[in-house]
Amino acid sequence: MSQRNAVIEAHEVHKSFGPVRALDDLTLEILPGEVHGFLGPNGSGKSTAMRVLLGVLRPDSGTVKVFGLDPWRDAVALHQRLAYVPGDVELWPNLTGGEVIDMFLRLRGKYDRARRDELIERFDLDPRKKTRTYSKGNRQKVALISALAAHTDLLLLDEPTAGLDPLMEAVFQDVIHQAKSEGRTVLLSSHILAQVEALSDRISIIRAGHIVESGSLSDLRHMTRTTFEIESGRPAGHLASLRFVHDYRTVGGRSVFEVDGEHIHDVMAEIVKLGVHGMVAHPPTLEQLLMRHYGQQPSREVAQDTPEQAAP
Amino acid sequence: MSALAAQSGPAPARASGPATFTGTLGLLRFMLRRDRFRSTVWVAGIGLLGFYFAHAIQVIAEDEAELAQLATLFTDPVGRLMTGPAFGMEAPTFERFFSAGYVLFIYLLIALMSMFTVVRHTRAEEQSGRAELLRSNVVGRHATLSATLSLVVLLNLAAGLLVFGGALTAGYAAEGSALVAAAGAGSGLFFAGTAAISAQLSASARACSAMAGAALAAAYVIRMGGDMAAQGGSVLSWFSPLGWAQQTAPYVEDRWWILALLFGTAAVQLWIGYWLSTRRDLEASLVPTRLGRQYARPALGSPLGLAVRTLKGGLRGWGIGLVLAGLVFGAYAQTLLDAGENLPEEIRQIFTGESMVLGYLAHRGVFLAIFVAAAGVGGLTQLRGEERRGRAELLLSAPVSRTKWLGTHLVVILGGAALLLLLVGLGMGLGAAAVLEADAGRYFVYCVAASVLQLPAVLAVLGIVTALFGWWPRAAGPVGWTLIGYCAFMITFGQLLDLPEVFHQVNIFGHLAQYPVEDVTWAPILALSALGLIGLLSGIWGWNRREINRV
Repeated sequence: MSQRNAVIEAHEVHKSFGPVRALDDLTLEILPGEVHGFLGPNGSGKSTAMRVLLGVLRPDSGTVKVFGLDPWRDAVALHQRLAYVPGDVELWPNLTGGEVIDMFLRLRGKYDRARRDELIERFDLDPRKKTRTYSKGNRQKVALISALAAHTDLLLLDEPTAGLDPLMEAVFQDVIHQAKSEGRTVLLSSHILAQVEALSDRISIIRAGHIVESGSLSDLRHMTRTTFEIESGRPAGHLASLRFVHDYRTVGGRSVFEVDGEHIHDVMAEIVKLGVHGMVAHPPTLEQLLMRHYGQQPSREVAQDTPEQAAP
Repeated sequence: MSALAAQSGPAPARASGPATFTGTLGLLRFMLRRDRFRSTVWVAGIGLLGFYFAHAIQVIAEDEAELAQLATLFTDPVGRLMTGPAFGMEAPTFERFFSAGYVLFIYLLIALMSMFTVVRHTRAEEQSGRAELLRSNVVGRHATLSATLSLVVLLNLAAGLLVFGGALTAGYAAEGSALVAAAGAGSGLFFAGTAAISAQLSASARACSAMAGAALAAAYVIRMGGDMAAQGGSVLSWFSPLGWAQQTAPYVEDRWWILALLFGTAAVQLWIGYWLSTRRDLEASLVPTRLGRQYARPALGSPLGLAVRTLKGGLRGWGIGLVLAGLVFGAYAQTLLDAGENLPEEIRQIFTGESMVLGYLAHRGVFLAIFVAAAGVGGLTQLRGEERRGRAELLLSAPVSRTKWLGTHLVVILGGAALLLLLVGLGMGLGAAAVLEADAGRYFVYCVAASVLQLPAVLAVLGIVTALFGWWPRAAGPVGWTLIGYCAFMITFGQLLDLPEVFHQVNIFGHLAQYPVEDVTWAPILALSALGLIGLLSGIWGWNRREINRV
């Protein structure tokens, strides 16, 4: 991971709104061509970070470079190369969806009308309707199509699918895969774990304005616990006393517990002796990763975040 | 919401009969609670205006002999065009003067209040989705409309009572005063009915208000034509509900029976509103939403094109109103020339200058220019709205610089303001040229020049507001509107009040020479232009330096 060619480099960025620390020593690096999941609960600073990367907010301290440019000073040059979808899309009520899309594409220069029409069809959008009649999901589609149809190197997507139905989310995953295959870099913020899990090469978890965990999904899993659920002939209660077994409980006749990643071998040796009828072991879900970072530690001052929606 | 729960009755098997009204009383209490400030301001404002009108006449004219000289203001065709059929002006009294010249504006305000209240509580609630939340409770299909109409009736009663009281305190006859109040309430109910129909037609609350507003405007224009034709009105006057309200001829003939027309048609319209509301689903419209363009026109592909699309609606609305006002003001020139020497001292103080008409035109030019500046301030507050709603941020995520974004919007706003000044001047000039018996061409040029020469003052106001937008955005709107209101007040009443000099200094529109009464002087033109340009540039600078939509 060479620093030199990173698309986004944020280093020790601080940003406060009055007494509220929105970004607290945020460090983030995103490499060319990767889909980077930006995961955190509401109010954790995702949107603020996006808006700093876009150059509409100015960090109090720290350095931010996107394509080697300072987003605050070189906004126009930078925006030639990126497209942005805000978390809460408001459009011009007296324009139609098609007009908004065309306007954005023309502001970026030449564009491919066939690609625009194809995306409109895939997202099943009626471009002739005035945007004031659109639902939140449809407004989001307009912003997404405007961003995806443009030939930009970087996509900043702030909770892009919060208003989309599952069918449209599948389309979204498709087009993001396509964007990735074209070599575009994507920063995708979300609190929808499955989406990030399915799309991202790497994930950064943000909590109270600070990146607490960053790496590929398997990197993160390595640092966490595997969950075991077993049904056994003999009682398994003594497992609870092992040093590397956590949260032992019995659910409907099955023993459920979590094991530190590096001790799985030791637990397996114990389980074999119990006469197992059935066993399920699964890697930690992102919920569990999040729980580890949000559920257990006492939270710092909760950062206020700009337009983010409540969890669906 | 607890009030709603208290209303829950037995669940109806079919939504018909009285069950469709279930929850009306609870909703009414809820609306009164939500509207307690807004409605109070409306009603109190109308009451105060009635009180002011009733008493102001007795300040302008000392006795009824002096009134007789003023009567020509209302009996003249242009006077009738503006204010109505002018009943009883052959033997004017204060109360007849009140009824002939002023109550029409009270009727208009009551009508506007009623229309807005109906649309706000019906269609706007549906559009926001709040109506669905309410209707999921034990609330009948007709409850919202019924509660809204009950609220309007209450507001109309309250406003009517205040107007009645205001007229009584001025010593006017009780019967005529009661008729004025009743005709006001009747006009309110008529247009509440119109709004109850229009609210069923479109899914957009704005479009519904616009339709009802167009009906009110049509009523005004029809009675303009009718009343201009003959004193006492003509057949055409009887095609306008505002005409009916005025045909009651309070203090002169006191024709109560005409009110039956107003209240009867109001009831018919309400019935149609209820009926139409059963022909549609919640949140749906009877008139299908028109589809727009699939592809944008080439003009939209630039920041300037978008700025035009964003701002032109507001500017056009102001423009239509101001050009019409200019026409009417201009058309008053000959009337004033005739009334000339007879005008009382108070009015002559406002219209300075040797020549009454030139003074009048100069004063109207400034007055309309303040409204042109208001149109510009409206555009600038729209920009703040673009920022607040996140659209500025979204647009700036494309390769568009902040200077370009603000600059193009300013070009549209300033260009629009300059165009409005020109059009308003042309309107006033045409109005004057059409009625003047002599020198029409010269007055036309005066009017156009008088209006266009106000550009520096308009520029100064917009410069100040733009600077605030750049550096202290939250203050831009409030300061801008306060400035407009202050200037309008000072232009209207400033000369009558004995105020310290500094009050006149702050009045941006008080510095330019009052052309055509006075000759053009360059110093204030240069000073105001410089102030405006500095404001614009510093606003652009601030906008480049500050964060967008910082929370």
